[in-house]
Order: sequence, then structure tokens, then C-alpha cells
Amino acid sequence: MDLLTSPDQDEIIAAAASFLNDKMSTDQSRLQFESGTTPAVSNAAWAAAAELGWFALGLPEQFGGVGFGLAEEALLFREIGRAAAPGPFVSTVLAARVAALSGAQDLADEIVAGRGVGLTVPGSLHAIGEDGSIAGEVQLLDATSGLALVLSPSVASIIDVESLGDRSRVPCVDPTVDLQRATANTLSPIAHLPASTEAVEHRAHVLIASMLTGIAEWARDAAATHAIDRVQFGKPIGVNQAIKHPCADMAVQAQLAYAQTLFAALAIDEAREDAEFQALSAHVAAAGAAEFSTSTTIQVLGGMGFTHEHDAHLYVKRAEVWRRTLGGMPTHLARLLELSGPV
Amino acid sequence: MDLSFSTEDNEFRDEVRTWLKANAPTGRRPKESHAMREFDLAWQRTMHAAGWGGVAWPVDYGGRDLPLTQQLIWYEEYARTGLAPIDSRFVGLAHAGPTLMLRSSEEQKQFHLPKILGGEVIWCQGFSEPEAGSDLASLRTRAVVDGDELVVTGQKIWTSFAAVSDWQELLVRTDPDAPKHKGITWVICDMRSPGIDIRPIRTIEGGADFNEVFYDEVRIPLANVVGDLNDGWSVAMSTLSFERGTAFTVSQVQLASSIEALIDMARSRTSINGRAVIADGAVAERLAKARADCAALRALTYLGISKNAHSTQPGPEGSMLKLQYADLAKRVYLLGLDVIDTNALAFALDEDDSDWVDRHLMAFSTSIGGGTSEIQRNIIGERVLGLPR
Repeated sequence: MDLLTSPDQDEIIAAAASFLNDKMSTDQSRLQFESGTTPAVSNAAWAAAAELGWFALGLPEQFGGVGFGLAEEALLFREIGRAAAPGPFVSTVLAARVAALSGAQDLADEIVAGRGVGLTVPGSLHAIGEDGSIAGEVQLLDATSGLALVLSPSVASIIDVESLGDRSRVPCVDPTVDLQRATANTLSPIAHLPASTEAVEHRAHVLIASMLTGIAEWARDAAATHAIDRVQFGKPIGVNQAIKHPCADMAVQAQLAYAQTLFAALAIDEAREDAEFQALSAHVAAAGAAEFSTSTTIQVLGGMGFTHEHDAHLYVKRAEVWRRTLGGMPTHLARLLELSGPV
Repeated sequence: MDLSFSTEDNEFRDEVRTWLKANAPTGRRPKESHAMREFDLAWQRTMHAAGWGGVAWPVDYGGRDLPLTQQLIWYEEYARTGLAPIDSRFVGLAHAGPTLMLRSSEEQKQFHLPKILGGEVIWCQGFSEPEAGSDLASLRTRAVVDGDELVVTGQKIWTSFAAVSDWQELLVRTDPDAPKHKGITWVICDMRSPGIDIRPIRTIEGGADFNEVFYDEVRIPLANVVGDLNDGWSVAMSTLSFERGTAFTVSQVQLASSIEALIDMARSRTSINGRAVIADGAVAERLAKARADCAALRALTYLGISKNAHSTQPGPEGSMLKLQYADLAKRVYLLGLDVIDTNALAFALDEDDSDWVDRHLMAFSTSIGGGTSEIQRNIIGERVLGLPR
């Protein structure tokens, strides 16, 4: 039992942080969404991420992947969350897996090489078949290159979004996300993977938890920096416990989210019986931490937090999107209570 | 990075589980203080005889000096016995004993340590005072050197098990003119000394293990001072890192068991509206959230132990764990009352249900004792985030 990162893992983290800072910083996101151009992720940056092997990091080597575990992917996604990097990272990585493990190796190769795959967010009137087919109303996140991932407890699939009817683009609460609404009669997937072969949805919980952890950590650090620098009544505002204690609570929640996310990633990597329980717990912990920390940070920042002057609003919106894409908290909590307890 | 334990560790877990199953006391722990003392000491003697008396103690002092991972396993298995995470042996084994190992003379060690480990004596702590709680260093209990003795006059408070203790780790002010952290001395006090008056304080759940201790010219040999005169603050702070987060595991595992027990109860019991308790959406949501939060608490325990296994300096996880445990324990045990519902009115209606009332009342102490949650937040804010004092 050891939850410390190894030197190899530290290298993945450092390289990711440096790349994100150079190529996908919030400066660029801001410029793009302020000028009204979408998508916020530049093709060049996305291609560079593919070049680095990000979409194949956890894919087994026999499918052309790098062969790391979900733990390494979780560490990468935490950095993506911390940077608020735009783009369909979660669905692309998972779609590469669905394609490869279901025998669609050519599609897997294409995705790994940089064809982004969006995420299907089911609407209230929808059905997902056992073969991964989809019917009814859906929303599509960042499905700009024509493909989208569908996730359900029993199956994961990839659909061709061009075949969906009534497709229309709507503004997303997070301006760096391309959001479309569509309706399907019954659309068969181009690839699907039953959960009995691999529970892709559990991995999605962990990757989203990782991003939300990164968001919570960013918010914690932004609030602490401001509490140290901002002087009022002749003292840094951080001397006041009304500021200091919420900052401490952010630190605790971020660390809990980080620890639980690693625990869940390893539970899946090691095929523990309680893998789903741990993955859902990670999602719940990280979603709570991200919501609490981003909203608390806005309060700590005062007036500036309410404006576009500071990046805090980006992180609030990003957390809002990511903690809902697999269904909201009531869905996760209800499922968590149905499961057997931890091992 | 991995979650799994080595084959050796798994064998160790089997050994521990088998031994605890065969040897842990099964009867209810007595509520009366003297009977409780005898119960706790008998259990310590049983553990010591089998080599389990001090899993974190150095081998030189008769302990097992287990690696942190095996300490974690020991405490996880210990928690399953249902025995209290902290009992009257706690100060001796986890605070005074380790302080003596680090700071006392050879004679003091030889005299006291075998008695603590061997289950012969109970120690209590004489730190807090009516005017020195969170601000411990402002303590006022006065000690004056007279020949080869210290003469102590003053008052301590919140002293658990004082009435059944043999010895006390006592902080006294020996230099009232020095800055407050510099004039304190750490001394071993014989609780049977003339001039000591112990008055029980009844606690919220009705227990009487808590006490005020009054000192009226109590004479303590100077030979009982640990470290140097006026250096007691550094002596008191020297053991903060003992066990490095492993002993806390018992509380965390037992909280997880409580949550699972409440989920089972909520499924099998009917509320006054005729439906299963768990059919109440608000109760169900709180149970599910508690499950997730407790999972994260365990993960943080594992992360803390992983860090401490590689470093002698304990990380901030200690304060974080304590803070989060207190918050969660209070939420879970309040939820317990909502699950037993109207049975929570009676404190002794049914033995099992009254335990939930007891746990709820006891949980109020978790965010006060051993450093309040407010102090933990200050520590995290200042030492982890670097916020100004």
C-alpha cells in the first residue's frame, strides 16, 4: 500500500503542467471566448497533446497505447482540471478505449492520433440500448469532429453525430465548451463495449473526479494567494478567521478529493470488488470539493471574483459542467447507496 | 503506487485477526471508572503477554516497532473488535510513554516504561487549565523549587481518568517572568501525593471520567522533572508525531462500521409513516454522502501513512484528518438518531439503540478535545496554505 507518486509519475505531472501552461492556458481560452470564436481548443494544441500520447496513456500496449494505469491518467487529468484546459479530454481517452477493446482498432488509432470525441449527455427523454444505441434527446459536449461517446452503466459506445436529427448549437454555461442539442430516433453506434468486458463508466467517474480535484486545488490556491496579498484595514485579509477557516476547509476538501481519486483509480487498476463504490465516492468527494472551493474562492476574491477580471468564474462554470455530465449528485448518491460497502 | 498489501502483510493481517478474535474481551466495557480501569489494564496485560502491548513502541522498550503499514493493519483489525479507540491506557501508551522515551533519564525510563507497557499503571494528562485551553502555553499552575522538590499549587481541568490514574504528565509554570513558552516544566506527578484533590465533572452523556484536579502545595521530587526546568514546552511538543497517524485508523474504521450499520438499520426498520426508513430521500442522501465522505477519510488516512512512511516529519494530514473526522462523526451520529427516530427519546429503552444516543452525545467532544476544530483550521491555514497569523 503506497499512495505516493513515483518519480515516473512526477515526470508525467510536471510535463503535463508545463505543456498546459504553454499551449492551453486560460489566457488563450479567455481570448477565444471573449472574441466569440469556438471551439476554444486550438487544433494545433490538441494535435500536440495527441503527439504527447495523452489519449493513449492508459491504453494497453497491444492496442498501441502507452500502457500506464488509470492512476497515471488520473494524475494527468488533475492537471487538465487545474489548467481549465478546454477540449473533450475525458470522452476522447475513453472512446479510444472503447474502440480498441471492441476491436475497432483503426478507429482507436484515429482517436489516439488526435480525432477528438465529444461526450453525449443524455436528456430526460432518452434511452440507451444494450448495444449502445441511443434514442431521444441528447446534448453533445465538444463533439466538433463528428463523434461522441455514450456512457451507461451497462455499455459504452461511440456514435456518429452527423446521423443525429435536429442538431442545433446552443451557448454553454462554460463558454469554452461547444454544446449542441440533438434528437435521435434510434441511432446504432459505430462501436460499443459492454460493461461486462470493461466498465468504462467507472473510469469516467475517476477521470472527471480528477479534473474536479484539479479545479478544487486551483481554487484553493487562488484564494490563499489573494488572502495573503490583499491588504485591508492595514492587514492581509488572511489574518481573519472568517477568511482563513474557509481557506483551510478548501485545503481539506481538496486533499480528501485527491486521496479518494487516487484510491479509486487504483481500485480499478487492481480490479477490486469495490471499484465502483470507490469511483463514485471519488466523484462525490471531488464534485463537492470543486463546487465548495470555486464558490468560496469567489467570495474570498470579493468584487473581482464576480467579474471576468479573474479566472475564478471560468472554474466555477467548468466545475458546474463537469459535475453534471454523468448525471447530478442525486443520481450518484442513490447509486452509491445501492452498492455493497467498501472492501 | 498501489493499494494492495504484500503477501507478508496479508499473512500478518491473518495472524492479527486470528489473535484478536481469540483474545479480545467480548463483554461490555464497564461504565464505572474503577471497573473500567481494571478492564483496560487486564486487556493491556493480555496484549503485552502476546507481544502486542505496544505495536508502535520501539523494541528497546518492549514494543513491536511495526512498520507503518503493519501498524495500519493492526489498527484496522483492532477496530473490528469494537473496542473503544481511546481508553484509559491512551495517555500512557500514546503520549506520556513516548515522551519519556524521547526526553527522560535512563532511570525514569527504566522505572516507568515497563509498567505502562505491562498494564500495571494508568497515566493521565495535566495540561489544560480553566484559563489555558487552546492557548495552552498561558498555563498558570505554579511550581516553586524548594530544596530537591517542586512545590505545586494550582488547578488543571478536563483530566480524563484522573481519579483512577497512578501518574500524571503535568505541565507547571516554574518561571513566571520568562516568556510564556519558556517558563514551563514537564514533570511526572504521583497522583497519590498529599495535597491533590480530584473532583469529577459529569460529562454530556452522563459519564464521570472527566475531572478537575486541584494542587495545594503538592511536593514532587525534582528527579521527576523530564527534560530541563523551564524546557517543558519543547518536551510536551516532542511527541506530537508519535505513531504518525496510524492510531487514528481505529476511529475511522469504526465510523465506517457505524455508517454501514445505520444503512442496514435504515433498510430493515420502518418509520412512523409505515415505510422503510431508507425510503426517506433526505435520510438516504445523508447516508450515501456519509459513505462517500468516509471513503475519502480512509483514503486520506492511507495517503498520510504513505507520506509518513517516507518522512520523519509528519505532514498536515494529521490536522486534516482530525478536522474532517470530527465533522463527519458529528454528522453520522446525528443521523443515527434520525434512523432510530423516536427510540432516541429514551436513553436506556433498548441497549443497542441507547448506544446511538450515547455516540451522538460523545461526538460533541470530537471537535473540542485534543485541539479544537478552530485551532486545526488555523494550523492548516497557516502551515499548509501559508496564510498570515
